[in-house]
This record gives sequence, structure tokens and C-alpha cells, in this order.
Amino acid sequence: MGDKADVWQGTLALMILKTLETMGPQHGYGLARRIEQTSGDLLQLNYGTLYPALLKLEQEGYVRSEWGTSDNNRRAKFYELTKAGQKQVRKATADWKQTTEILSRFLAPEKA
Amino acid sequence: MRKLRAFWMRLIGVSRRGRAEDDFAAELESHIAMHIEDAVRQGLNTEEARRRALIELGGKEQIRQARRERHGLPWMEHLLRDVRYALRTLARRAPVTVIAAISIGLGIGANATIFSMVSRFVLRPAPVGEPATLLSLHIRPRGQRCCDEFPLPVYGNLRDQAKSFSGVAAYFQLIPASISGNGEPERVFGQGVTSNFFGVLELPMVLGRGFASTENQSPVVVISARLWQRRFGSDPKIIGKSITISGHSFAVTGVAPASFHSVDQILDTQFWIPLGMTRELVPTLPPQDSREYHWLAVVARLRPGVSRTQSASEMDTLAHRLALTYPETDKDNAFIFEQAGSLPPRERDGVLTFLAALSVIVLLLLAIAGANVANLLFAQAAARQREMAVRLALGATRARLRRQLLIESTLLGIAGGVIGILLSLWSTQLLSGFQVPAPIPLNLRVGIDWRTLSYTFALSILCGVLLGLSPAWAASRPMLSNALKGEDALARPGRRLSLRNLLVVAQVAMSLVVLCITGLFLRSLQSAVRIDLGFRPQGLLLLSIDPRLNGYTPQKTSQFLLDLRRRVAALPGVDAAVFTDVALLSGGNRSDGFTVAHAGKDATFINADLYMTTPGYFDALGTRLLSGRDFGGESAAGPRVAIINKAFADRLFPGINPIGQHVDGGHWTYEIIGVAGNAKSRTLGEDTRSILYRSLDQSITDDPSMMGYTLVVHTPGNPAALAEPVRRQVYALDPSLAIYNEKTMEEHVRTAYFLPHIAATLSGVFGCIGLALASVGLYGVVSYGVSRRTREIGIRMAMGARTNAIERLVVSQGMVLVLIALLLGWPAAWMLSKLASSFLYGIQPHDALTFTVVPIFLAAIALIACWLPARRAASIDPVQALRVE
Repeated sequence: MGDKADVWQGTLALMILKTLETMGPQHGYGLARRIEQTSGDLLQLNYGTLYPALLKLEQEGYVRSEWGTSDNNRRAKFYELTKAGQKQVRKATADWKQTTEILSRFLAPEKA
Repeated sequence: MRKLRAFWMRLIGVSRRGRAEDDFAAELESHIAMHIEDAVRQGLNTEEARRRALIELGGKEQIRQARRERHGLPWMEHLLRDVRYALRTLARRAPVTVIAAISIGLGIGANATIFSMVSRFVLRPAPVGEPATLLSLHIRPRGQRCCDEFPLPVYGNLRDQAKSFSGVAAYFQLIPASISGNGEPERVFGQGVTSNFFGVLELPMVLGRGFASTENQSPVVVISARLWQRRFGSDPKIIGKSITISGHSFAVTGVAPASFHSVDQILDTQFWIPLGMTRELVPTLPPQDSREYHWLAVVARLRPGVSRTQSASEMDTLAHRLALTYPETDKDNAFIFEQAGSLPPRERDGVLTFLAALSVIVLLLLAIAGANVANLLFAQAAARQREMAVRLALGATRARLRRQLLIESTLLGIAGGVIGILLSLWSTQLLSGFQVPAPIPLNLRVGIDWRTLSYTFALSILCGVLLGLSPAWAASRPMLSNALKGEDALARPGRRLSLRNLLVVAQVAMSLVVLCITGLFLRSLQSAVRIDLGFRPQGLLLLSIDPRLNGYTPQKTSQFLLDLRRRVAALPGVDAAVFTDVALLSGGNRSDGFTVAHAGKDATFINADLYMTTPGYFDALGTRLLSGRDFGGESAAGPRVAIINKAFADRLFPGINPIGQHVDGGHWTYEIIGVAGNAKSRTLGEDTRSILYRSLDQSITDDPSMMGYTLVVHTPGNPAALAEPVRRQVYALDPSLAIYNEKTMEEHVRTAYFLPHIAATLSGVFGCIGLALASVGLYGVVSYGVSRRTREIGIRMAMGARTNAIERLVVSQGMVLVLIALLLGWPAAWMLSKLASSFLYGIQPHDALTFTVVPIFLAAIALIACWLPARRAASIDPVQALRVE
């Protein structure tokens, strides 16, 4: 477990939004699992940050939540993207791409 | 946007804590359950699966805490908790809290009251569109501090040539008129304005359209919202209807907004007519093309993007150019301006000094109140050392304790602010009720506006924080070991003059200053009441009419006044009925320059106030005729005669008998037929002015009064009772005449006491408050001293000290502080009293009586405040005192 990376600041929100976009409505546990899987089990999610992050997204109006029933017939709270959330995914994705692109130019070995 | 939404949701979250907690608990449970299910599915037994799930979750309570912090606003919740705790603490000590809040409230209320005047007269912009770019223009003759109005041609030059302005409008400020129809005729004042007036002001009409640019000569009128409501019952179809003003018919084209009284915010104007129509109502207007008569007020709208500096330099250029073109008349003219709606430049300095003096007093008052409350809080802090020590010992941080105490004092400040606002609502009401000595309607209402509210709020917060600072500091660092033992932990070893003593010294010193100023104003009122008016105000009824406004010719007016005089004189109980143009002490009147007739170029030149009178005037008013005779028997067209007062005679005819001499003034030469005693002409405070009385019948044709004519009725009985019968006589002659300024002379004179009265009232109230606060403060400090020295006093008494020795000990301790305070405060009061000097009547600012009596009075009160706790000290039972251990 020690070699797994922690999720760094600011990226968790985008991961959550993106996961919700691809998978549709999800409960917190499913989201956590999914994020860990997507990362190829390289990420260790701290649930102490997941739930406040979800709450923040909800307060900002990017997601909404509702109690529902899971696949195993268990009551769970499901999170779902709102319209604003969908827009935010696109915007944040574009921003992030640009950032990584810029950063990779710095990190890439200089072309001769 | 999103941030704001999130903040809002969190704010809501603060109040919806419980349900969200339960909800999240359920969510976590379902999370764990699903985790376990997964693990079981992978082959773990339930116990192991639960263990792993919990480990991975990493502590339910931490997660819940993390979420909780995001759910609401933690700092706000802490604040709310502190506020709740502070409220409980304050409520537990209700008496202290109430006294503190009332103290601050009195201080804040006084400040709010004075600030509401500052806001009304200094800060409030004119009620026009974009007040910041509307300027009032004046002409300043070279070498003079202040200013004149504009001749019409100069206004025209300015309007046509100045490029800094997008519009320049002019108006004639005061048209007396009577409005008839719809009930009793009423006298009102209006203005004659250029047709672009409302456009330049950017003042939208409530109803109608104002004036079109082609209407400068048309009989149209814009009426005030007040007139519209009062006289026309807010008739929504008033536009286009015709109303009668001074016998002329005008079509209403607009109703101005209710907030608009006049550009200067002081005159209470009821209608506006085109400048070109003004001559119909004011036949004595100066010639239109003269560059010598200054009669128009001018406002200008700055073009967007033009700065005031730019327009000022353009005006200088313009003035220069006009001076070259018209050297005869415009040579010495300069243009100046200020933002429209500011205080009139002539009155500005006086009003500002007056408000400054009052502001100093009320700030001192607030400081006294503040010192009082600080002392109370100190006493509290002393009493709460144990609580603080315990909380510190239990691990509370000092910062936390300080915050707690600061919140308490801030709450006190806010409570004081609320009390202050309530007080000032009441006091501004009272202030607005003061009658101003002026023959024209002024709107001087003062109220609490948003500026005053925010100033008061800021002041109360500031007060609260400042008050809390030092007690908070002291209380949060008690000498722990002392406090836990129950000893005084705030008294630091080796400190002689404690902060509390300093506060009391400051308080008493400031009270001395306030009381000295109060004393000065009271003495001033006292001496103002004794001022010799030069006439007898008792038994006189005043009542004004202006028949000219109803189209009377001068001859007809003269006949009417004579008829009315005869009819009124015949009423039972009437001794005499005479006419003058304007009653004495009306704040201002016509004046002219006078020289001895045919005296050549460099003759002595004096300025004298002009009054018209009918025969019997001096007898009716009780003004003595010193020599010569009264009017009577002159023909209206004959050589003009005049009666002068003693001041006039002394100045123009020193050592000569003025009877039979001639004087030149205005456009006429008068023969002097009598000398009357001096009388106050304009205001109570004035130095004796020269007065020339002329015959009403001789002046009414060439130089009619613009302010109408005032009937003065003398009766040995109650003059107020005559009002109704006299009124009936007026209506019997002409029911369409408007009657105004109807009052007894005593009422009229009372309004002349406006300034000394208002100054004495305000400072008297403030002085009493200050004195009460300071004595309470002194009492508190001395009592505190006694309570701290209970044991010492006990020992002294056990050792055989007598009670009066103990009393002397305690009293002297307090009185030393008072003495220091008096030594500090006296010179300060001495210096500050100069500020009040221009508002004092008949006494010097360094009035010896005030400056001896007030300190003695204050010392006497202080002695009582010290003696009360001293008596308690002397009654200490040594056995009890020593048993405190």
C-alpha cells in the first residue's frame, strides 16, 4: 500500500466529475472503487476527502444527490451530474489538458 | 458565481445541521455495508471484511468531522457559539449590561443626532440626477471672499461660450405668490427658471414633462409634489389644467418629485415658472439687459469627461475675456463654483463651525461614556478573573478568551448603537421642530438617513472593540497563581496609577470641558433673553398680506391697507393697528447705502436697513421717539421724509441735530423728521444696526415691498385672541387675499432666539449626560478602591483609626484624581471655548463666571460621588473584614 500515490489537491473533483460522466449516477463507495480501478490501483483514495469533496461539488451545484437502491438492493445515496456539472467537466478537462501539455514541454528532454 | 452559491449553501447548512448529520451517518453505514459485501464476495469472512472496511475508511468520526466542516461554515459557527455565550454572560449580569448599554447609547445617540445634521447639511448631495456633475456657479468680485449672483447677460455669455458644460441653467430664487382656488388662498414661494432648468438638473417629473425649450414666455408651471398633494388632492389629471398664481393663470405641465425642494436643499419651493414669465409675478425685476444687477442663480452640468479643474480654468479665461469686453461692469469679476446642493457659500463657514463645535462636544461625551463603560468592564474583568483563570488552566488559549471578551464588548457597543439610534430618532424630531427666524419657508428637516445609520453602526462597533481591547487584554493574562487563590490578579505589583484611574481622570477632565461649554451657552441664552430688543414684544399680533399678488395697483393697495387699519382699529380691545413691510427680527431685510445729501464724493457712507411704516408705528411697538415727530400728514407724492434710529444718527450726524437734515439713499433724498431709539433689526446677536424708517404711503408706488405688508395690532389683552376677528376683517375686504406669517410678536421673537436656544438646549442636555456619566464613573472607581482595600481598612480600624479618618482617606484618594482632572481640563476648556465664541450673545468666550462656577460645581458633585463609597468604607466592620480570608 505504501507505494500508492495520494490524490493530489484539486484533481479529485475532476476525477469525480469525469467518473460520474462516464458511469452515470453512482454512490460514494462505487465512485471510490471506480476511481481506484481507473487509476490502475495506483491511487489510494482517502474517504475523508472524498465525501467533503462530493459535498463541495453539490454545494457548487455541479452534482446532485438522491437516495436510491443499489444493484444489491441496498439503500445508498446516488450522486449525479447536473447540467452545470457537465459543462464543468468539459471546461476542467480542457484546462487540465492544457496544463499537462505545458508542463510536459518543460519536462520533456530538450529537442536538439 | 459558483463560489457564492457554495457559500450560500454552507450558510444555510449552518442551520440545518442535525438532519444532515443523520443523513451522512446513513450514507457512511451504506458505504461500509457495500464494502463488506464486496470483501465477503471475495472470500473473506464477515468479521475480517468489516475490520478491513473500517481500516480502509480510516475512522468514521474523522470523516464525519471533515464533512461537517465543509457542510457549514466553521468560523461562523464558532462565532455564533461565542456570541451565544456572550449573550448569556451579558444577560447574567443584566444590571451592568443595561447601565453600560445605556451609557454607550447616550453617547452614540448624541453623535448620531449631530451627525444627522452633518449628513443633512454637508454631505447630502442635491436631489437631482447625477449630483456629482452639477455645479452651482457664482460671481466673486475681486478682493471679496464671497459671491454674487448673475446678471442675465453674463449668464447668456456663459451659456453660449463655456464648453465645459453640457447645459447651463439660471433661475430667480424667490417669487412670492398666492395660490387661490380650491380652498383658502395661500401664500407660497416659487422660482423663475430657464426652460432648460429641469433638463440640466436631470430631474424627471413625477407627472407630465416639465418645460419645452420654446416655453420661456409661456404661461406654464411645474408644481411641487407637496403642493400637488396638499392643494390638488394628488389629482392624476392635473396636467394641462390651469391654476391661478397671484391672479395669473398658468397651465400645469409637470409635477416635480417629492424629494425636490430646491437645488440648495434649503428653500422650500412650491412651483417653477419660465424665467420669461417671472416679470408677471415680480414687476420689480431688474432690467433684463443690465450687466449690473446680480439677480440670477446659475447651475451648470459638467460635460462628461471634463474635470472640475479644466472647467475652472476655462471659467477663468472666460472671466478674463468678459472683463476685456465689458470693462465697465465685468472688470473685477471672477467665476467660482461648487457642487450644487452644498451649503450656500455665504453661510458655509458659520454652519461648519457650529457643527464642528457640536461634534467636538458629542465626541467628548462619547469618550466620557466610553471611559465609564471601560471602567465597568474593568470591574467585571476583575470579578471574572477566576473564570478566566480556570478556563486558562483548563487549556483555553488566551486568544480565545480575548475574542470572547471582545465579542461581549462589541455586543454592548451594538446594543448602545441601537439605543442611540432610537434616541436620535426622537431628538432629530425635536430638532426639526425648532422654528427658524426667516420670513420665507425653509425646509430644514433633519432625519436619520442611511449615512447616519452606517456612521452610527461603524461608531458603535468601533466603540465596542476599543472598549473591549484593554479589559480583554488584562483579563486574559491574570496572575494565574493569585487568581486561583482568589486574590486580585489584575493588580500588577508596582503599578501606581492604574488604567482605571487614568480613565476617571480623563472622564472628569472631559466633563469639565463639556460643562464649561454648556455653561457658556446657558449664560449666552440668559444674556440673550436680557438683550434690549428696542421694542415691546407683548400684546402685539402680526399678520401679513400681499395684495400686489392679487393684481392690486399701488394706489389700490395703499387704500386697502388704510381701510384695513381703520376696520381693525375699530375692533374691541384694539389699541392701535399699523402697517410695516417686514416685522423686525425676521433674519434679514432690505438695506441701502446712505450719505448726507449733497455731501460730495468722499462723504461718509453707511449701510442702513429700510423699513416702511404708517403713522403710530412707534407708539404701537413701544419704541421711543427720541426727538422730532412721527409720520402723519405727508402727501404720497410730496417730498420724502424719514425717521432714523439713534445708531444712524450717531454715525452720519455725530454731534449734529439730524432733524431737518437730508440724506441720500437708493434713488431718493429723504428729509429726517425724527430720531427713534435703537432696535434689533435682523438678528438678536447683531451689533446695533442703522435703520431708516420711511413712510409706507410715500414708498409703496415706486418701491413696493416684495415680502408683502405686515399688520401690527396692539392690544392690552391677549393678542392671540384677536387673530380670528382680524382675519375676518381681511376677508370682509377681500376674501381672495392670502394671509400668512400670522403670529403674536412674542412667538415671532421666540424664533429669533433660535440659535442661542438650540445651542443651549443641545449643550445643556449633553452637559447633564456628561456630568451624570462622569459622576457614576468616579463613584465606580472609588467604590472599587474601597472593595479592594476592605482588609486594609479593617486592619486600620482594628488598630484604632476613626471613621472620619477612614472617610477622609477614601475621599482624598478620589479627590486627588478629580484635582488632576480639573487641572488638565480647565486649560483645554479655556482653549476650546474660542470655538463657541461666534455663537455667544453678550458674553465673552472666557466668561469668568462660567470658568469659576463650573469647576467648583463639578468638584462638589465629585465630592458626593467619592463620599458615598467613603461612608460605606467607614462602616466596615473590622471583624468581618479580617475574616474575608
